[in-house]
Amino acid sequence: MKETWYEKLQPWIIPFILLISWQLVSTLGIISENLFPSPLSVITSGWQLTASGEIVEHLVASLGRAGVGMLIGGIIGFTFGILNGLSNKSYRFTDTTIQMIRNVPHLALLPLVIVWFGIGETGKVFLVVIGVLFPIYVNTFHGIRNVDPKLVEMGKMYNLKGWKLFKNILLPGALPSIFVGVRYALGVMWLTLIIAETIPTQVGIGYLATNAREFMQTDIIILSIVIYALLGKLADLIARIGEKKLLTWNESYK
Amino acid sequence: MSGEISGNSDNVKQLTHQAVQIDVEQGSKSFGEKQVLKDINLSIEKGQFVAIIGQSGSGKSTFLRLAAGLDELTKGKLLYNQTSLDQSTINVTMMYQDSRLLPWKSVIDNVNLGLETKGEKRAEQVLDAVGLLEHKDKWPAQLSGGQQQRVALARALIHEPSLLLLDEPLSALDAFTRLEMQNLIEEIWSKLGFTTLLVTHDVREAIRLADRIILIEDGSVAMDLEIDHPRPRQLSDTKLVVLEEQILNRIMNGEVDESLKEKLSI
Ligand SMILES: Nc1ncnc2c1ncn2[C@@H]1O[C@H](COP(=O)(O)OP(=O)(O)OP(=O)(O)O)[C@@H](O)[C@H]1O
Ligand SMILES: [Mg+2]
Repeated sequence: MKETWYEKLQPWIIPFILLISWQLVSTLGIISENLFPSPLSVITSGWQLTASGEIVEHLVASLGRAGVGMLIGGIIGFTFGILNGLSNKSYRFTDTTIQMIRNVPHLALLPLVIVWFGIGETGKVFLVVIGVLFPIYVNTFHGIRNVDPKLVEMGKMYNLKGWKLFKNILLPGALPSIFVGVRYALGVMWLTLIIAETIPTQVGIGYLATNAREFMQTDIIILSIVIYALLGKLADLIARIGEKKLLTWNESYK
Repeated sequence: MSGEISGNSDNVKQLTHQAVQIDVEQGSKSFGEKQVLKDINLSIEKGQFVAIIGQSGSGKSTFLRLAAGLDELTKGKLLYNQTSLDQSTINVTMMYQDSRLLPWKSVIDNVNLGLETKGEKRAEQVLDAVGLLEHKDKWPAQLSGGQQQRVALARALIHEPSLLLLDEPLSALDAFTRLEMQNLIEEIWSKLGFTTLLVTHDVREAIRLADRIILIEDGSVAMDLEIDHPRPRQLSDTKLVVLEEQILNRIMNGEVDESLKEKLSI
């Protein structure tokens, strides 16, 4: 079942043709370069921003918001997922409330968030926190609940209780599901960040885009879209690598 | 595939321990309205190998879970060594139809599971005894079904059981691997001398391994038979063939064959 080089190349043929046509459409002046800048001019402006170091500043700001939001939301979601997975008492006490909040589309909170937190960093991070919290909560919870009860009984037979039972059986059993949650949350994180960065700001990829809009710099707008896409891809890649590392035992099933 | 069974069981000789005696006095177990075990009276001697047979749903696994201390009798008493009610005073380990290995732990870490002091060396010896030392760093998923059951056996042995509970541990294996496992279990049991309760659907397996066969029907002991036949046993032995037929008849027809013991002079 080895793919030949031609078969490997196949998926890339259409994207390549599209890219070339885009370049041609722009250079031949069929569509105004101002509305639809060519790939080359996007790359050029990307290079200029990199060379001046300006882009690093924006990247750091965006990554910081995403990271802090992911961390806080992740910890909250994980904690409640574990608690409610382990304890029926905790589940009965908090799950309905969490589910109720979950049903509010968090992006619709944007105007409220601006009123509450103003246009500073807090509001942006807050939105990310709310966005990533639920996928992590739900998947952690189900992960713990779906650990094979036969394995748990076996563990009790071999004197595993409390922390040891959690560490040896419950957590590793829930881990594949938790990773599904993390990867889903990463997607939500970028999407939320894009929306959150439309809140007026002085720095960040979102600022780059809104600022460019003011000056009709379509190449920069496209550049920031591409950066968002690349960041999303990168985060997913890192999550996949982490997953592979931690779940080697799972890989051996396949 | 399973040719490497003949491990070095001398290695486990030092896993010495006190075999346990089990007495059940008027033991009953109900789940809600449903009575699963009714008024059981049994005394199982130290070191005895007891096979428990019976139809599906007759309460065999329930009995093992009670003996393991994983559940409690609704009525009556289950005593260890005639006095203690507390399962934690003895070492009980259990093997199931599925190996219940943790897929996220290597073979050797599975064997070491739940030990206070983890001895790499000891785990290796026990794995050697079941003939799997060379596979110690693999994931359970990389082993065959028979090999996984042998890891489960190693895990049960390293705890130095005074009581080993086996709930149909061989029923998912192919005939050849099953024979090998029967040999292995018998060999280790005769070296270590722990008390053993084996639940099985296979009458031949019961006859081959057990000192005593107990038939449970509708939650009661319907037949209790000692087999005093020298080991290792050849199933082709006429006495054992007759015995098998008698037991099967007993299970199928529900008739108590009073002359059974006489005929066999056992
Ligand atoms: N935790 C439980 N709650 C309610 N009913 C139970 C429970 N455990 C077992 N039972 C019931 O008790 C009866 C005996 O079950 P048990 O598992 O002991 O049967 P078994 O003899 O081991 O059967 P098999 O040969 O199929 O394994 C069954 O009718 C089962 O439905
Ligand atoms: Mg059963």
